[in-house]
Amino acid sequence: MKKIAIVIMCVALIAGFHGMAAAKTLKIGTLSPLTGPYAQDGTDIKQGVLTAVKVFGKLPGFDKVEVLPGDSACDGGKATMAANKLINSGVQVVVGAYCSSATEPAQIPLMDAKIIMITPASTNERLTQKGYKYFFRMPPRDDVQAWSTVQFLEKKLKAKTLALIDDKQTYTAGLTANITKFAKKDNMIKIVAHEFITPGDSDFTAVLTKLKRLNPDAIYMGVYQPEGSKMIRQARKLDMKSTFISEDAVYHPKFLEVGGKAAEGVYLTFAKAPDSPERRAFEKTYKKMWNAKSIGSYAYYAYDAGMMTLAAIKKAGTADPDQLEKTIRENTWPGITGKIKFDSKGDRKLAHIIWVVKNNKFVPYWNPITGKDL
Amino acid sequence: MTSTGFILQQLVNALFLGSIYALIALGYTMVYGIIELINFAHGELFTAGAFIGLIVLSALQSVGWVDSHFILTMVIVFAMAMAYVAVLGVALEHVAYRPLRDASRLAAILSALGMSIFLSNGMMLSQGVSDRAYPSIFGAEGITVMGAKITNGQIFIILLAVALMVALQLFVHRTRLGKAMRATAQNRTMSRMLGINIDQTIRITFIIGPALGAAAGVMVGLYYGAVRFDMGFIFMIKAFAAAILGGIGSIPGAMIGGLIIGGVEVLWAAFLPSAWKDVTTFTLLILVLYFKPSGLWGQGDVEVRV
Repeated sequence: MKKIAIVIMCVALIAGFHGMAAAKTLKIGTLSPLTGPYAQDGTDIKQGVLTAVKVFGKLPGFDKVEVLPGDSACDGGKATMAANKLINSGVQVVVGAYCSSATEPAQIPLMDAKIIMITPASTNERLTQKGYKYFFRMPPRDDVQAWSTVQFLEKKLKAKTLALIDDKQTYTAGLTANITKFAKKDNMIKIVAHEFITPGDSDFTAVLTKLKRLNPDAIYMGVYQPEGSKMIRQARKLDMKSTFISEDAVYHPKFLEVGGKAAEGVYLTFAKAPDSPERRAFEKTYKKMWNAKSIGSYAYYAYDAGMMTLAAIKKAGTADPDQLEKTIRENTWPGITGKIKFDSKGDRKLAHIIWVVKNNKFVPYWNPITGKDL
Repeated sequence: MTSTGFILQQLVNALFLGSIYALIALGYTMVYGIIELINFAHGELFTAGAFIGLIVLSALQSVGWVDSHFILTMVIVFAMAMAYVAVLGVALEHVAYRPLRDASRLAAILSALGMSIFLSNGMMLSQGVSDRAYPSIFGAEGITVMGAKITNGQIFIILLAVALMVALQLFVHRTRLGKAMRATAQNRTMSRMLGINIDQTIRITFIIGPALGAAAGVMVGLYYGAVRFDMGFIFMIKAFAAAILGGIGSIPGAMIGGLIIGGVEVLWAAFLPSAWKDVTTFTLLILVLYFKPSGLWGQGDVEVRV
């Protein structure tokens, strides 16, 4: 009798545990630099996903949705460690990472573990060319970005000479390599110099003075926002006459804040910002939720990644990676950065436009596809 | 831009960066000279100075003092930042280094590393993770000499850095306290026997070193326009290299070391491929240490000398 009682107790216990496991939690991991020089963008991404989870509300089939933030620190090693940690905590989806040089190594463990990974920021084209089934990208690719830049230089600015600056990371080096490639193909612009800086440095006067002497028509700043803001200030102090052009990593409210007057007249490539009630609602919610004055550019993509994930899980009725992947790929999703539809590689058909800094604001300036002013 | 103008401009760039490195390197070298400890938290003290400067300057700007009382504003900003960080330096010494003064050197170094992480995280929590913009005090105005542009901000900062270094030299060589510092650096036990108040001397070192670092922090904020909780790290690496290069423990060594590191960094990027800039700086350091292990102005280990 006693034995039977024990057996019944054991069965009850197992059933109990099973019942607890059935209390289903959806775990979404984020990978972004929460420390180091790019912590601002990393925090924007984390907050974007958290906003999405809050706005989406109850997810059918799950008792709660939990967001686990991972710190990729814009570093391959740290990103891989953070990715493994997220895998061990049982995440079903990861939104991240920010720097392409962190996303690339983090892809390996995540793809092996069959976890859906959606990057809200990494733009190096290589990331979607590895045949990873579970990898998706929200922003447009860098070859598109470089093409838009070269179109702008040739057709709108009519620049004859160009100097490039990059900080030797996957993202920035990829961009300058693409620009060199497109410029050589058209053979309308001569690249007169290619200079390098170290990420995290503050003083770029040596390189800028060197370029001042060459006086090219345009200078391309292939850097991230913290370096870009300081660089443009120093360039203005040196009275440089060249036109400055930069990219989507510098397109951040902080560039306007730190750059101040020096940022005026800088051209940048970034995707169009469609005006929609959803976008305005997001901006209102985000600012209130995080007590923020301005919204980082990648918070929008992170929010879209979060919202799309939750909508796809709702539609698929499961977080199973294979079914989720199919659902995400086969449908078109609404988004505050435009309609979301992925191709077979996991890229969206998004294009860049040229923006200009005017009165301390980013203003749409020129469309490289139509060749028209905006 | 003429070649003369170009060279002159690069020399100004080098002098500017070198003076900042020199000011930070002084903090390392003075502390090492007195208690043979590498104060790894020095980079954080430098950052703390930059933040205090930011807070004071923003407050003064909001009441319009920057335009009406420019010099007074600068005096207040630098004085407040230096005073606050000096207090922080003394507290650091009291809490983290004094109890370990007779313990093994490794224990003190670990304590220094711990304080560095503690202060860095403290600033992260209190000041946020992202760049904070410094009020733009110095615009692009300046003078042009033979095609080289020197802004008013650069002139102000270089002059202030030189003035601080001259004042330090005078203090160390012309005052009783300075003499006590030099004696303590040479032989702590003998100095104590001769009636020098060792605790007081160490405390003064932890006032001056961090205060100079704080001044450098404010200068970086004023000139580069943004500060962040972890900005001390890169400056620390370079300034530490400068202190070692000049001979750690030697005050003129740190100044010259700072100018050399800043100079090599700028001039290499100016005339040779900029991709190799940092490699060169540290290769130079290795070469100097290979041929002269105590650094350019170093006098060898104190124990050996005594």
